[in-house]
Amino acid sequence: MVSKLWWLIHKDLVVEYRTRQAWPAMLLLGIIVAVVFSLQMQLPLQQRTAAAGGLLWLAILFAGLVAIDRTSAAEQHDGCWDGLTLYPLPPSIIYLAKLAVNFVALLVLGCVLVPLFVVLADVPLLRHAWAMTIVAVLGSAGLAAVGTLVSALTHGLGQRNAVLSLLVLPLVLPVVLAGAEATRLIAEDNLGDEWSRWVQFLGAFAIVFTTLGIVLFGFLVEE
Amino acid sequence: MISQGNAIQTRRLAKSLGGRTVLREIDLEIAAAECVALLGGNGAGKTTLLRCLAAIARPTSGEVFWFGQPAAAKSNQRSLVGMVTHESRLYAHLTLRENLVFAARMCAVTAPRQRTNTLLEQTGLQALADRQVRQISRGMRQRLALARSLIHDPPILLLDEPFSGLDTKSRDWLVRLLRVQQASGRALCFATHQQELVRQLADRTLTLRNGSLTDHKAMTKGRAKENVWQDAA
Repeated sequence: MVSKLWWLIHKDLVVEYRTRQAWPAMLLLGIIVAVVFSLQMQLPLQQRTAAAGGLLWLAILFAGLVAIDRTSAAEQHDGCWDGLTLYPLPPSIIYLAKLAVNFVALLVLGCVLVPLFVVLADVPLLRHAWAMTIVAVLGSAGLAAVGTLVSALTHGLGQRNAVLSLLVLPLVLPVVLAGAEATRLIAEDNLGDEWSRWVQFLGAFAIVFTTLGIVLFGFLVEE
Repeated sequence: MISQGNAIQTRRLAKSLGGRTVLREIDLEIAAAECVALLGGNGAGKTTLLRCLAAIARPTSGEVFWFGQPAAAKSNQRSLVGMVTHESRLYAHLTLRENLVFAARMCAVTAPRQRTNTLLEQTGLQALADRQVRQISRGMRQRLALARSLIHDPPILLLDEPFSGLDTKSRDWLVRLLRVQQASGRALCFATHQQELVRQLADRTLTLRNGSLTDHKAMTKGRAKENVWQDAA
């Protein structure tokens, strides 16, 4: 099963590399949002630091939705989704593969946007790089878990893009909030109990939604 | 009575889509090495029936059995079935070889590259193997889709309008290939509107009308009964 999971991920990454349908649009949107947010923040350092976390996670969310939408939309072409369901593999493997690809996309996005915010907004997000890495990894995992699950739910719907956004945005609000708070605390050099609680929340959220995805994905992708 | 001798068997299979009954109480049996043509006008339910037989669509009621076991009760049972549809289900930006190797890996074929090369050769696609699917014609895609459905050597092969959009040469090639598949013991079930192909291939025809099986006919290959197409119209 691990080998099948790897080849599913490999296939999606190769297709994305050749089509460049999702990642360039995602990165461009993320950069534009980050630049606009950063340049509009003519605030003292303390207030900039307080606001930067929220703006960073909003930028990751908006741009990340582009990649999440494309991951399952790519399978709609020429009946590929049906083709996947014909293979002798449990639906949870397909979910985990899509989740992994979305997770990688969001991590790449984070790797671009965090340094961009540091430079443009002059906020010390990388004061504790290891802590920022933990927050980015857990936050991206939570966003990817929800996004992949909802993306499966909207599979086959017309206007799926609009429906995806409508369903994902309320569900990921806790991740954006927790990610923003944890990021703010990093910028304020405050890695105490409060930061730990937000990080634990991000981890729990990712685990709960990944588990839900593994259990529910098979039911959701049936016609 | 569910027989293990039947490659496919359905019991009171019914399917509704969006509140509309598409299939009603279908009871059918297809034996191993038997070739059955599924006939019926547009909207008669042929594609839905094939999707139910392949366990891609879940019946609203009733059951589908593969070799006496409930269809796709376990995911590894899916290796019993291969399917070709009018959609190619191929990844347009992967090469022909990559599509087949990917399918072989998903089906846990032991030597994916070797099996891929064999099928590329059998389907006459060897020379195009390293082109991306989007760069080849519909006829070639149909060949590739067939190769992909055979990658794991399934004992059941379902084909939905496999001849549509093919020129005469490709159609003749496909008929020959399907005959070989049947001779090797595979159960075949194909939906088509093309009378001549039914005559050439089918042991038996099943006719669907408004979601119900209305007719079963045994065929003598090459000499079809004249009323088959009147029934299907």
